[in-house]
Amino acid sequence: MKFQIEDVTVYFPYDHIYPEQYSYMIELKRALDAKGHCLLEMPTGTGKTIALLSLITSYSLSKPQSPIKLIYCTRTVHEMEKTLAELKLLHNYQIKHLGPQARILAIGLSSRKNLCVNPTVLAAENRDSVDAGCRKLTASWVRAMAAENPNVPTCQFFENYEKAASAAVLPPGVYTLQDLRAFGKEKGWCPYFLARHMVQFANVVVYSYQYLLDPKVAGIISKEMQKESVVIFDEAHNIDNVCIEALSVSVRRQTLEGATRNLNRISHEIDRFKATDASRLRAEYNRLVEGLALRGNLPITDNWLSNPALPDDILKEAVPGNIRRAEHFLHVLRRLVQYLRGRLETENVEKESPVGFVASISSHAGIDQKALKFCYDRLHSLMLTLEITDTDEFLHIQTICDFATLVGTYGRGFSIIIEPFDERMPHIPDPVLQLSCHDASLAIKPVFDRFQSVVITSGTLSPIDLYPRLLNFHPVVSRSFTMSLTRDCICPMVLTRGSDQLPVSTKFDMRSDPGVVRNYGKLLLEMVSVVPDGIVCFFVSYSYMDGIINTWNDTGILKEIMQHKLVFIETQDVVETTLALDNYRRACDCGRGAVFFSVARGKVAEGIDFDRHYGRLVIMFGVPFQYTLSKILMARLEYLRDTFQIKEGDFLTFDALRQAAQCVGRVIRSKADYGMMIFADKRLLFELLPSSYLIPDMD
Amino acid sequence: MNNGGGKRINGGTEEDDDEDDVNGDLDAWERTYTDERSWESLQEDESGLLRPIDNKALYHSQYRRRLRSLSSIATAARIQKGLIRYLYVVIDLSRAASEMDFRPSRIAVIAKHVEAFIREFFDQNPLSQVGLVTIKDGVAYCLTDLGGSPESHIKALMNKLECSGDSSLQNALDLIDGYLNQIPSYGHREVLILYSALSTCDPGDIMETIQKCKKSKIRCSVIGLAAEMFICKHLCQETGGIYTVALDESHFKELILEHAPPPPAIAEFAIANLIKMGFPQRAAEGSMSICSCHKEAKVGAGYTCPRCKARVCELPTECCICGLTLVSSPHLARSYHHLFPIAPFDEVPPSHLNDPNNKLQRNCFGCQQSLLNPGNKPGLFVVCPNCKRRFCLDCDIYIHESLHNCPGCESFRHSKPVISNEE
Repeated sequence: MKFQIEDVTVYFPYDHIYPEQYSYMIELKRALDAKGHCLLEMPTGTGKTIALLSLITSYSLSKPQSPIKLIYCTRTVHEMEKTLAELKLLHNYQIKHLGPQARILAIGLSSRKNLCVNPTVLAAENRDSVDAGCRKLTASWVRAMAAENPNVPTCQFFENYEKAASAAVLPPGVYTLQDLRAFGKEKGWCPYFLARHMVQFANVVVYSYQYLLDPKVAGIISKEMQKESVVIFDEAHNIDNVCIEALSVSVRRQTLEGATRNLNRISHEIDRFKATDASRLRAEYNRLVEGLALRGNLPITDNWLSNPALPDDILKEAVPGNIRRAEHFLHVLRRLVQYLRGRLETENVEKESPVGFVASISSHAGIDQKALKFCYDRLHSLMLTLEITDTDEFLHIQTICDFATLVGTYGRGFSIIIEPFDERMPHIPDPVLQLSCHDASLAIKPVFDRFQSVVITSGTLSPIDLYPRLLNFHPVVSRSFTMSLTRDCICPMVLTRGSDQLPVSTKFDMRSDPGVVRNYGKLLLEMVSVVPDGIVCFFVSYSYMDGIINTWNDTGILKEIMQHKLVFIETQDVVETTLALDNYRRACDCGRGAVFFSVARGKVAEGIDFDRHYGRLVIMFGVPFQYTLSKILMARLEYLRDTFQIKEGDFLTFDALRQAAQCVGRVIRSKADYGMMIFADKRLLFELLPSSYLIPDMD
Repeated sequence: MNNGGGKRINGGTEEDDDEDDVNGDLDAWERTYTDERSWESLQEDESGLLRPIDNKALYHSQYRRRLRSLSSIATAARIQKGLIRYLYVVIDLSRAASEMDFRPSRIAVIAKHVEAFIREFFDQNPLSQVGLVTIKDGVAYCLTDLGGSPESHIKALMNKLECSGDSSLQNALDLIDGYLNQIPSYGHREVLILYSALSTCDPGDIMETIQKCKKSKIRCSVIGLAAEMFICKHLCQETGGIYTVALDESHFKELILEHAPPPPAIAEFAIANLIKMGFPQRAAEGSMSICSCHKEAKVGAGYTCPRCKARVCELPTECCICGLTLVSSPHLARSYHHLFPIAPFDEVPPSHLNDPNNKLQRNCFGCQQSLLNPGNKPGLFVVCPNCKRRFCLDCDIYIHESLHNCPGCESFRHSKPVISNEE
């Protein structure tokens, strides 16, 4: 259908539009007109994605003189494919109505693991080894060697792509990852490099959050994007955590040991080069004197790492003298690793600010802040010079350098926390040194600064005024839409008391009360006998889940549950959980019925959908507050209070309810679906819920 | 419908006997809710006020909806219908069937309505046969073989109503698949499953069984008594059946009776086919002969097979000696109306009744009662699209469900008195 929003003709591929989609588009259009950022909340299952895509593409079609580029960020590859499929439908519709002028180029970009078509490289099991496998075949020096010696293996697809040079372009259209692979196979071109090349020219790019937020990757992939772009973060309710994770590093004993091994290998390499090809090292030295900026002329395949700090600051400066020579740099790294090892030996929990930490490094290890700041780039340059291709082996030393650069660059918003053991298991020494970022706005700031409009959208963003404070930006539009329902397809309930009228809660002083455990058990038992197919239960933590299942087992409740439905449990092991999920789905399919026990902050709660018969009921046992005694959380809360004036309690409640809403939202993925949600905790009714949290139509 | 009221009376007599053993583990406050189910007789209006459910209008609107959906299938094209049906009714006697959410219990309600259904079924499909299968303790048993006598089925069912154990769809389907494979190809193979349980404990892969049923052209329909289950939906989708879930007793009755009229024929079977049938003569009163179906001497009121002269007690049936299908001509005639259904009547808003042009027709053409409600308020009524005669709601149902002829149209065409059509 075709309709007018102010001066824009919107092409919408479906015959019907929900009222909330229409108002969503209007708000979005205002934000685009104002060239500002916006924050929009609309429940899942109302067709957010198509509303976004159809408005923005129509907007740019109606203003041909100033084309805007759409950058769509998703959390998972699966969502990326879904978005592209939706876009394809829209694109076909627009072409049908507007003819060839509506043609656009839209591509998805993912890691080599998802795009590679070379069978030998793809055989590797994880992402890092696929990356390394690719570099082994495509690095410039490998190809130079192959030119002389035909026995050196290279990648046929990449060679063809290079040969085609500027002729290697994608014709306009919408390409999912699968289409890209098919196209690459057909033409014999490498889809990964082709896609990376085409990102600059594409009208729509769909990729993962990391490509914009993680400065290590963003520098390579996203630096050429024009300012007139619209950036969309879909499912962005956890965006602050993504930002924080992108800038946090943790160092364990294994990391340090690995780093030492890496350093030994590098020093061997240096010796070898000195003996055979000393001029190379000299050339590198000269280049470093002139500054890292000259690195720009390196071929794109070698461009595999970049600076985690703000690139502009550093590229203008020359690398400090004390780490220009390879041997000297190596010594600096050895001292750093030695120093970190010393710090890990501690018996007590220590917390320090980056400034203090840098001062301590410079007094104990003799490394100044500037040298630290350049570690990452210097290592990158060194590894290129030494022609190291198996980068997956060198992850440890990269982590250390990453850490050093972050510590050297940021004085505020971080803290360094050293814990000698895990608090839940104080007898097992497992020292860990964490550089944790507290300020989500640091990683996302460049995005807000660089692009004209940034749209943050999700099914659950309430309370919507907290996000601008957390991310430190000023949205021109922030709205929250409610779902219009034609029938009562969800039934949310808050349960405060068990059938014996005793209150239930996972509050710390109550959670192990046998009465509460029994009431929870009875609730589940009654539910399994009346709910068909699948039931999903969320607990607040793994340890609580283990405890409660043990008690249920002892009291025979578990056995009674098993009479009605099979029981599956999420564990910390990914493979085991995947298997459990698989069997859970089979049990639901074949009518046996099943219960899935899961944890509110686990993998299942975030990424797995329990739509249709896979989840007719979801029970949230308790409120999933974070582990408040965690040192990192405490440091972050303190920072939030001091910097953004967000009260600890407010943030914790917000975070817990956001998690809870995510958990229960797993079961309803479209309007045609139906299901029931039970929140079993007395706190929800009396303390937390009065504000308009959670699902909008919860009375 | 006397839904709310009747239930409470039933519940009242029940309570004392089995409350203690069944509801023993419930707390007192829960018990009042499980027994009364007081929320079911109330509904919320637009302003949020609670008021009792208006059963009559609700019932009629449901009926109209059903009629429309049925006739839209029938009149769209002259769809061939399977008049000779071989139907297995599967009754789930698992633990879940003893639940008391239907009053007095699910199984009692099922039994009551299966009885009514079997009678109605033979009334509408005189040429068809029914068999009963029960599921109990995870095993399927064949209660009665395919046969044309409603009495024998009902008698067999009433004797076996204990519930226990789990339920298994696969076992039931496997059993029935074995039986239905043997019937001749002109017959329509159907299964109607009355499913109380919320899960199925199967020995193997049920998906294979479903594919097998699909291959042998068995149309499986399910009526659930608890909640929608994916596997039932899948089964019905695959085999072309209907899946419904009953909300309460009256709804269940409606749903089960929906299966009485013959369904559209499966495409592969829609080829015209000649079937050999015998029309036996009724034996003279008082004559004595050995009955071939009961293997004993009987006096009078039997039928004689025209081919082998054996005596059978009831029609329709298959002759036990020569295997000829025996029917009587009224049976065939009664099946006929399914092929030429009468068009649904149009609903008219009551305000039209005060229209001065139409002053003449203030009475129902069928029963001659006034169409005005007590107090001269206009009520709902319907109009035949062909003859434009007006009928009250009760006559509407009677004409469509029993009479199968419109009195108005018939009197027009032959200018005969109306009474001649009402046998």
